[in-house]
Amino acid sequence: MRLLFTILALFLVSVASFAQDNYDVDLIPSNLRNRANACIRNEETTVDMRSPDNVLLNVKKAITVFNQNGEAQARLVIFYDKNISIKSIKGEVYNSVGKLTHKFSQNDFADMSAADGFSLFVDSRVKHYLPSVTEYPYTLVYNYEIRNKQNLIIPDWTPKPADDVSVEKSTYTLICKPTDDVRIKTQNYTGKPEVITDEKQQKSVWKVNNILAVKPEPYSPARDTYFTNIQIAPKAFYYYNHKGIYTDWKELGKWIYDDLLVARKALPASTIEMIKDLVKNEKTDKDKARKIYQYLQDKTRYISVQIGIGGFQPVAASEVDRLGYGDCKALVNYMQSLLQAVNITSYYCVVSAGSEKKSMDPSYASMDQGNHIILCMPLDGDTTWLECTSQKIPFGYLSDFTDDRLVLACTADGGKLLRTPKLTTDENLQIRKAELTLQPDGSIAGKMHTAYTGSQYENQERLIDKPVTEQHKSLKETYNIDNIDFETVSFVQKKDIKPKLIEDITVSIRNYAPVNGNKMFLQLNAFNVKRSVPEVKNRTLPVYINRGYTDEDTIVYTLPDNVDSELITGQNKTFKNAFGEYTCKASVEGNKLTYYRKFILNDGTFPAERYAEFSKFINDVNAADYLKLAISLKK
Amino acid sequence: MNKIFALLPLFFLSLTTQAQNFTFGSITYDDYEFDKKKLDSNANAIVLKEFGTASIQQDDATGSLELVFEHHVKIKIFNKEGFKEANIVIPTYKDESREETISEIKASTFNHIGNDFTETIMDKKAIFVENRSKYTRLTKFTLPNLKEGSVIEYSYKLKSPNLFNFRTWEFQSNIPKVISEYLVYIPGIYNYNVSLRGFQKLTDQKAEISRECLRLSGVPIDCSKINYTMKNIPAFIEEDNMTAPSNFKSAIYFELSDVQNLNGSKTSYTKTWKDIDFELSSYKTLGSQMKRKDVFKDLIPEITKGSSSDLDKAKSVYNYIKKQIKWNNYYGKYSEDNIKKALDSRSGNVADVNLSLIAALSAAGLDAEAVILSTRDNGTVNKLYPVMSDFNYLIAKVNIGDKSYLLDATEPLLPFGLLPLRCINDQGRVINLKKPSYWIDLIASQKSTTSYIMTGKMTVDGKIIGTLTTYTTGYAAYGKRKEILQHSSPDEYVEKLDERLTRIKILDHQISNLDSVENSLEEKYEVELTINDGTNNDQFYFSPFFIHTISKNPFNLNERTYPVDLGAASDERITINVLLPEKYLLLEKPKDMAIALPNAGGKYLLQTALDDNTISMNQILQFNNAIYQPEEYLFLKEFYSKIIQNQKTECLLKKTN
Repeated sequence: MRLLFTILALFLVSVASFAQDNYDVDLIPSNLRNRANACIRNEETTVDMRSPDNVLLNVKKAITVFNQNGEAQARLVIFYDKNISIKSIKGEVYNSVGKLTHKFSQNDFADMSAADGFSLFVDSRVKHYLPSVTEYPYTLVYNYEIRNKQNLIIPDWTPKPADDVSVEKSTYTLICKPTDDVRIKTQNYTGKPEVITDEKQQKSVWKVNNILAVKPEPYSPARDTYFTNIQIAPKAFYYYNHKGIYTDWKELGKWIYDDLLVARKALPASTIEMIKDLVKNEKTDKDKARKIYQYLQDKTRYISVQIGIGGFQPVAASEVDRLGYGDCKALVNYMQSLLQAVNITSYYCVVSAGSEKKSMDPSYASMDQGNHIILCMPLDGDTTWLECTSQKIPFGYLSDFTDDRLVLACTADGGKLLRTPKLTTDENLQIRKAELTLQPDGSIAGKMHTAYTGSQYENQERLIDKPVTEQHKSLKETYNIDNIDFETVSFVQKKDIKPKLIEDITVSIRNYAPVNGNKMFLQLNAFNVKRSVPEVKNRTLPVYINRGYTDEDTIVYTLPDNVDSELITGQNKTFKNAFGEYTCKASVEGNKLTYYRKFILNDGTFPAERYAEFSKFINDVNAADYLKLAISLKK
Repeated sequence: MNKIFALLPLFFLSLTTQAQNFTFGSITYDDYEFDKKKLDSNANAIVLKEFGTASIQQDDATGSLELVFEHHVKIKIFNKEGFKEANIVIPTYKDESREETISEIKASTFNHIGNDFTETIMDKKAIFVENRSKYTRLTKFTLPNLKEGSVIEYSYKLKSPNLFNFRTWEFQSNIPKVISEYLVYIPGIYNYNVSLRGFQKLTDQKAEISRECLRLSGVPIDCSKINYTMKNIPAFIEEDNMTAPSNFKSAIYFELSDVQNLNGSKTSYTKTWKDIDFELSSYKTLGSQMKRKDVFKDLIPEITKGSSSDLDKAKSVYNYIKKQIKWNNYYGKYSEDNIKKALDSRSGNVADVNLSLIAALSAAGLDAEAVILSTRDNGTVNKLYPVMSDFNYLIAKVNIGDKSYLLDATEPLLPFGLLPLRCINDQGRVINLKKPSYWIDLIASQKSTTSYIMTGKMTVDGKIIGTLTTYTTGYAAYGKRKEILQHSSPDEYVEKLDERLTRIKILDHQISNLDSVENSLEEKYEVELTINDGTNNDQFYFSPFFIHTISKNPFNLNERTYPVDLGAASDERITINVLLPEKYLLLEKPKDMAIALPNAGGKYLLQTALDDNTISMNQILQFNNAIYQPEEYLFLKEFYSKIIQNQKTECLLKKTN
C-alpha cells in the first residue's frame, strides 16, 4: 500500500514541475550567458535509498543550448546493466520563446553497447538521445528514473559539468532511513545541506545557484580538485549478492580482500612446483620476484572482460594460468599467487591510473576512486611495485601511468593507503649527444645518441621491436624536419627498476641550412624545440605542472671549409625561475661549432597570478630555441 | 581508378579443381618455422593459410534459402606486437526480421614444446556476443595460451539470409598472407556479377560444374564451383590523404544479377541502368519522394518571395531546406520514411534532406534531379555495371538555363553549389524521373582560396603595427567558419587566437560574412607584431614569412603506393607591405622564386622588394589538382622542400645615413 502511494506522489510532482516552468531564453540572466554554450536552468537529482538493493535515482533537468557546441551537454546518456534498470524516460523540447515544439520518450533513444574500445567484452550498455533542433537556442527538459539494485556506488553530484556550462539552479537530494549510516564527501560547497528528518526518512538537500561559465585555462589542476561535488557512501552495502560494511579504507580493503580476492588465489600444484623450480637458484626474494615477473610477462597478455561483479573481482588465478590472459585484476592476482607459491608477500593495490596524478582520498573511502590494479611487494623495506599488464615494461618500474599517488593496498589485515614512488625532475631525463657534419650546400649528416630515463623512458618505448619501416615513420613525426632521413635506427632497452632507453640513429637532412647568396642560415636546435604556451589574461586557477623533466642537448657541428668560422659570434642565453631553468650556448672552436641546450621544468602548484611569469618563461624558451645563425661563406 | 576494378568472367570452365579446405590442427614444422623474410621481414604475424567456402543452401527448418559461409584461417604469430591478431571480431547483421548467425566456432593455439606441438583449445565460454547497435552484432573471442612463435588456427560458419551480395572475400588484410583461397558454389539458377578490386592479381582461378549441389522443390540444381586463389599477398597499409581503403584493398565482390525461377520465369535484380532507372523512379523511398511537390506547394510562394531569377529561387529553396531540416548524421540514398515526416519533425537522413530539396525545387518550377553517389569513406562505385549497394548518399542537381548545380543541404555552412568534401569522390549517377540516368563528375565547384593582406608600419622599437585582412572561400572558408562557430562567440575565437599567437597581439578585430556563406569570409585584425627588441636598429635580420609559415613538409615520406587525394584545388596568397621607420638598404633577401609542379599541377611564386622605405612581399601557393598520382609524390615533397628552405632565409636590413 505504501508503495502505491509513493508512485502516485512522484507522478504528481513531475507533472507539476513540467507545467509551471517558463523556458523562455530571455529569462536567463546575461551573466549566465557569458562564455556559456549551454545553461542548466534547473536540475533536480534525487537519490532515494530505500534499501541497499533498491536505490532510485530521479533526475529532472532543464537545459538551454545556445549553440551547436552546447549540444554535447544536451545529449542525454544513460548507462545500464543487469544491476541498473531504467524505469522511465520522457522529455520535451522548447524553442527560444519557451513554446513546446516536441516530446520524446524511451523509444526515441539509440541503444548501444557501452564497450570502451579496449575491452574484449563489457556487459554495460548505454542509451542516448539528442533532439534534432536546427534553431538555437532551445531548451531540453527531461525526467528519468533508474533503479540501482546495489548501493555500493551511489550517483554523485557535480552541478557544473563543464567549463562552458553555466548553472542557474541545481539541487541534490539524498533520501534514506534515519537509521542509515552514510558518509558524505563535500567538496567546494559552502554551507550545510538542509536536513529534514521524520521517523520514516531523512532527507538532505544541497543547492547551488548562478554558477558562471568560465574559459578553460591551460596548466590547470585536475577538475575534480576545484569543482563542487558531493559523494555518498553508505556504511552497509549490497552489490551483486555481496554484502558488507565499511566506513574507512581499512574496512573497505578488508572486504575486497576477504570477499573478492581470497577465493581466487589457488594455483594448480604443477604450477606451484614449476615456480619453485624456476627460482631455486635465486638468492634473494627480489631476484626470485624478478624471475617470476619475467615468467608472467612471457606467459600472459592483457585482455579485458568486464561482466557484473567482474568489474571488481579478478578471475581465478588458475584460469589465467590456463588461458594465458586476463585484465589488470586477473594478472595482478595471478602474479600475487605465483609470488605466494615461494612465500613472497605482496599487496593487490587499487589505483587511479593516468598521466594526471590522482590519489585515493585519505579522508573518504569509497569504491569508485580507482580504475586500475597494480602490485606492491614490501620486500622487507625494499618496496617494489609491479605493473602487470604490459609485456615490455621493466621489473619494478610503474611509469607515469601510476607514479606518485596514494593507492589502496588490500591485505589480509585490511586496507591501507600507500604512496607509489615519484618520478622526479632530476630523474626524468632526456640526454642527447649528436655529432653532425655540415656540408657546403647546407645538408647535415651524422650520428645522434639519446638516452631516456625516468618518465621520459616512455617517450620511445613503444618503438622497441616495431618493424623498421614503422620506426622510420614514427621518427619522422618525432623529428618532423623537412628532408630528414635515417640510415640506421636502434633502440636498446635497459630493463631495470630505473630503466633507460637508448636511441641511436644515423641521420641526414638534405639542405637543412639553406644557402642564400653568401650566407647560410643554420637553426642550431634542430631536434628539441619547446612548444609555446598561450598567454592567458585574468588567470583564475593555480598553475599546475603535473610532472617535471630535464632535457640536455649537445650538438657538435663540423663546419665545412667554405664557412668563415671566425665571423661566428658566440651566443648565450640563460633564464631561471621557480618554474625551471634554461640555458643555451653556442661556441666555435676551429671548425667545430658546439650547441648546448639544457631545459629543466619543475613540477608543482603555483598561484594563479604567476601564470604570466610561467608563460613568459616558456615562450622565451620557445623563442630562444629558434636561434638561427646567419653564417658568412667565404667568397 | 578503373584499372583496379576488373570484371571476372564467371563461367570459365577448366579441368577439375582440387581445391578443398585444409584439415584443422595439421600444424607442421614448416608452419612453425616459417621464415617471414620470404614474404615480409617486417611482419609481426602472417596468415599461413586461409580458406573460405560459400554456398547457397536450403535451411532445413524454415525451408528458405540462405548463404552458408565457412572461414578457416591459420596464422603464425612472430612476436608480441602480433598478439592482437589473436583477438577475433566477426561482425554480423541483424534487424527485426532477419539476422546472420555464427556457429561452429573452433579455435586453438599451437605451441612447440619439447618435440611436440601442444594444442590449447579455446573454451566455448570464451566467446562473447555483443549487441553493438540496432543492426550490428559482434562475435568476439581470443586465443588462449599465446606465446611468441605460436601458430593459431580458427574456423567458424556464418549463415546469412542475404543472398544479394553473396559473400565478399578480402584477400588482403593488415597482415601479409602466404595463400588465401576462396571456393564458391553458385547454383546455376543464380547469376552474379563478380568483380575483383585492388592492385593484386589472382594467382589462379578455376571453375567446374558441381552436379546437383542444391535441391529445390525436388528439382536438382547444378552449381558452378569456382576457386579463386591469391598467393604472397602483401599487408595493406593505409596512407594519409587517401580515400576509402576498400578502393585499394584486394577483394572479390558479388552482386546478384538475376535468378532463374523454377517455373521458367526470370527475376532480374541488377541488370542494366535502364532497369534501375525504372525501379528507382517508382521506389517509395526515392522516386516517389522526388515527386512530392504537394508537400511544398503551399510553402513555395513564401520561400521564393522576392526572387526574380530562377537562380535566386533555387538559392532561396536551398537556404530554406538547410534551415528547416536538420541532418541526423545518417547517410542514405533512401528516405527513412518520407519527406513529409522529415519536414514535420525537422530532421532526417541525407536522402530525406536532399529529396525534400528536390521536391521543393520542383515545386518552385525548377528542373531538379537526384544524384546518387558513394562517399569518400565508402569507396568508389563500380562503373562496369550497376551495383546499387555501392551507393550510400543522395544529393540534388538543379539545372538552370545551360548550367547545372550540385546541391547538398545537409551542411548549413557550405555555399550554394559546393558539395561537402565527403561527396567529392569520382562520379555519381544522375537519376531523372523521365530520362535515362547518366554519370556526372563529382568535383568541388570552387577552389579553396585564402588571401592574407598585411599593411603596417615598423616602429623603432622593433614592432610592426598594422592591419591583417584575410579572405577565404570554398573549403577554406567552410573550415574557418566551423572553427569560429566552435567558440561561443567570435570574440572568444579571437581571444583564443590571440593567446595562441605568442608573438602577435591582436588589438582589434572585425569578422564579416560569418553567416552569409555565399560570400567570402573576411577577417580583419589590427595587430602588433614583435620582431626584435629594438636594440640593434642599425642592422638586423627580419623574416617576411610571419604569416602562415610553412615549416613542416606534409609529404615527408620516401615512397607512396596510393594516390594523394586532397579533395579540392587550392590557392593561397600573401601580400605584405611594411613601411620602415627610417631609410634602410636591403642587403640580403630570400631568393625570388617561381617554381611549378609537373603538368601544371601547381606553382609557388615569391617576390620581396624594398621601394621607398616600404618592404613588400608577395607569395602565391597554388595546387591545381585535387588528386596527385603516387609517382607525383616525390615532386610534391621536393616542391614543399624548396619552399621550406627559402622560408628559412631572411631579409637583412641596414640603416643608411
